[in-house]
Amino acid sequence: MSEEPRRQAGEAWAFRTRVEREAARRFARLALAIEAFDADSPVPALLRRAAEDEHRHAALCADLSAVYGQPVAASAEDAAIAPGSLGPRAAVLYEVVASCCITETESVATLTTLLAEQVEPRVEKVLREIAKDEVLHGRIGWAHLAREASISVVSFLSPWIPAMLAGTVGEGLFTAADTDLQSRELLRHGVLPHSLKRSIFVGTLEGVVFPGLEKFGISSRPARQWLEARGPGARTQPS
Amino acid sequence: MLFRKLFQLLVVGGAVLGATSSCSTPAGSRRTALAKDQGGGDGTASDAGTARSGDSDGGMAPDAGGGVSGW
Repeated sequence: MSEEPRRQAGEAWAFRTRVEREAARRFARLALAIEAFDADSPVPALLRRAAEDEHRHAALCADLSAVYGQPVAASAEDAAIAPGSLGPRAAVLYEVVASCCITETESVATLTTLLAEQVEPRVEKVLREIAKDEVLHGRIGWAHLAREASISVVSFLSPWIPAMLAGTVGEGLFTAADTDLQSRELLRHGVLPHSLKRSIFVGTLEGVVFPGLEKFGISSRPARQWLEARGPGARTQPS
Repeated sequence: MLFRKLFQLLVVGGAVLGATSSCSTPAGSRRTALAKDQGGGDGTASDAGTARSGDSDGGMAPDAGGGVSGW
């Protein structure tokens, strides 16, 4: 394996290690918050299970990061991401939608895409292990949104979806990338080349996240406008 | 095709999962709980979100809201 793809793969797996660690802490915190106002919900127990999954995933990602010669930096402290103007229960819904309905749903699409490719055996083993859990993690978000939508109007989230998206991916996703980031060789090591990553991100928004939000009464129009503003690579169909 | 399957698997599957027991909100306050809880939102929001991985603000939520980095 040449040096640059090795570095790219190592950095990707190190980044994923941090992402998984942060998700573990977030899910544990959200489990406590939800059971305080919805004691009958299955979601807190599922979030605790998800938190355990994420610890395991972090270890798997860290192992691969080490294989590719990249150290894993310390993770950030667990921080709430909801706007300060939201009340506690709405803030929890915001965070569940951002972390599960958007981020975990995108992760499932990424993993599914990677597993359809020729991948190094040790990488494939990790991808499969993580993929089977990520489906549940995505579902948890849609489950909580469905419950909240059954008792209240959740359309207030619509104008916040662009902020969630902006915090999910960097602006760099919508700009041209270096040749190194476009290398098909990255796929063998569990990393999407830049243009494929963008295409999966946008396709998942259009085909899964936006219709999902609409299903529960959250307009995707501001989010589609946000995406449209990111340029030709991010064009969506009109809602 | 991938996305259609994922919609069924995640969104529809999640909604079924969430419906396994009723939500713990008294019947009299149904459809209002979150609306009262929203705070001062006026239907507008900045699109200046921030990625959370790799930085920390000590637990303070940004006014504009943020997102969660993923794969």
